[in-house]
Amino acid sequence: MANKKILLVDDDPDVRLAMHVRLKANGYDTAFASDALSSVSEARKQQPDVIILDLGLPGGDGFTVIERLKRHPSLAVIPIIVVSGRGVSGNQERAIKAGAKVYLQKPVDNIELLAIIRQTLGEPEQPGDSDVTGNWKLFA
Amino acid sequence: MKKPLEVLVVEDNAGDARLLREMFSKEKPGSFNLTHLLRMSEALVHLQKGGVDIVLLDMGLPDGHGLDTVRRAQAVAPGVPVIVLTGLDDEALAAEAMKEGAQDYLIKGQIESRALPRALRHAIERHRMQAETELLRINQLQFKDNFLSHVSHELRSPLNAIYQFVTILLDKLVGDLNSEQREYLEIVFRNVKQLQAMIHDLLEVTRGQDGKLAIELQATLVGDAIVDAVDTLQGAAVLKEIVLSTQVALDLPRVCADPTRLRQILIILLDNAIKFTPPNGAVKVRAQLLEGDTNQLLLQVSDNGSGISEGMTEQIFERLFQASDPAQAGRQGLGLGLHICKELVLRQGGRIWATSTPGEGAVLSVTLPVFSMRNLLAPMLKATNGAPGPMMLLIAQVVSPAGWVSDAARAEHSQWARELLRRCMHSEQDVLLPKMGSAGAAELFFVAVATDPKGCESLTRRIRQQFDERELTQKAGLVLSTSCHSVETAQQNRDNPRGASFEWVTAMFQTLVNEELSSRIAANG
Repeated sequence: MANKKILLVDDDPDVRLAMHVRLKANGYDTAFASDALSSVSEARKQQPDVIILDLGLPGGDGFTVIERLKRHPSLAVIPIIVVSGRGVSGNQERAIKAGAKVYLQKPVDNIELLAIIRQTLGEPEQPGDSDVTGNWKLFA
Repeated sequence: MKKPLEVLVVEDNAGDARLLREMFSKEKPGSFNLTHLLRMSEALVHLQKGGVDIVLLDMGLPDGHGLDTVRRAQAVAPGVPVIVLTGLDDEALAAEAMKEGAQDYLIKGQIESRALPRALRHAIERHRMQAETELLRINQLQFKDNFLSHVSHELRSPLNAIYQFVTILLDKLVGDLNSEQREYLEIVFRNVKQLQAMIHDLLEVTRGQDGKLAIELQATLVGDAIVDAVDTLQGAAVLKEIVLSTQVALDLPRVCADPTRLRQILIILLDNAIKFTPPNGAVKVRAQLLEGDTNQLLLQVSDNGSGISEGMTEQIFERLFQASDPAQAGRQGLGLGLHICKELVLRQGGRIWATSTPGEGAVLSVTLPVFSMRNLLAPMLKATNGAPGPMMLLIAQVVSPAGWVSDAARAEHSQWARELLRRCMHSEQDVLLPKMGSAGAAELFFVAVATDPKGCESLTRRIRQQFDERELTQKAGLVLSTSCHSVETAQQNRDNPRGASFEWVTAMFQTLVNEELSSRIAANG
């Protein structure tokens, strides 16, 4: 079976690289985008299984990206995990209303992020996963 | 030309008032403008209109007495300086008034007519300078907090990158490490963690200053928090071969506190004790009722370390306090831990202090109010003076049908709903109980109201109206449901001929709350 593909949207190349290394080690393929505009075109080209999205992006913030993705029938179904340095207050609700599945505040614990990716993709839980995902309710 | 000074004289004694008036009459025309009023009530109305430069206030008015007059005047017009007028035998009271914020006092019969205008001008000038200094101080603090908050935020991203790549190497995601490489990377990792903790503390403190530190009071078991905190720090204690022990009294009542914050307080105290205790030492956590006041629970963290230097037991709670002996403290942090701890304790209605015998160790003590239905309801029951009228329990349930996005969102909305309920309550005697528990997706709120079913209904209507008007209600898709329950207050029997007792009513409320909680938990899962 082919690896699941994750699109990483973040304007910080260090963040993209670190996530890429960690995700690859866990059996995922990755694709990248660094700004609002290219993230939508990249999503269309790559058809990822999950999008991990930062909110502060050049050329429009993450909220606009979510809205644009949700306008494309083929992209609207891709689950979005927002990972942002911005506080939960206000941003979380806005992101979820716009259609994101989970809102995580940076710095994100790697174990937690992987557990949430597995849960989002409907993959089998690994030991310890429910300890972290129990705190998060995923939205359809 | 300069504007005349607007002087408000509040004095009910006609003779005294006339004397004052005469003193001003000798001044240059147009330099003072006198308004004379006889009653505190009139004075408050006049002050509210604004335009007064200074108040000369008698402390014995028909409708106001003593320090109360000063407080009331300042509550209405906080920016207007007050000079109190007292009799010869009241000088002590006048001194008290100055502590309350009066600028000066004048003793009737001893006022020199030439000196009066000067005293007034000085009082105004002094008041203006104080206000300016205070404003400057607040602005500086604000600037410092904004600066700290900004810097801390900016430091997080690069630090996070270091953290990510160090853990990638340590987790051997890109190949094996030899033992020396691993050892050095562990040192980098440890220091990164320390930096992260410092930044976290900085952000926490600036949040505390903004009042953004969320605290959700509820009936909380201290024992659980102690177990959690000890678990968290057991590793650090073992590393230093310190024995970490607990001594928790049996059957401790719950306290009124935020469980997360209580855990945070204990972690800071334990972490601190472990830091300042030499290897092979002992750190102990104790919990018991405070001797002499069973409404307070006492938590103590003691160690047998170096102790706190004499005269430092209060300073250790100040912001950025550092142990004076750096060798002793090592590279330990920013000196914010105990300050955060103090903020958290105070915000939960408790006290914190330290005692120490240098060389023998230190004891950090925290009190927290015991969760007691009787105490909570006391204002309401006292107001009824032992002959309680009808009483109701109003239950409001706020549900997010889609579920709560996270615990943080739930806490935030709960806080919002609590504030809304508080604003809807008209009577000061009515009591909005702290969080008693939640049931599945529902946040439950209990209000004890001294009213009949009709009164409870009208309160319900008010709440619903407010709730429906709010934008957040729609945005977050919150659903409100309410119910009113009569509380049995007419327990008359031989032992209690006057009617229901404090204990009885308290127990009835508690039973109702418990029943509602368990039935809703059963219904909502």
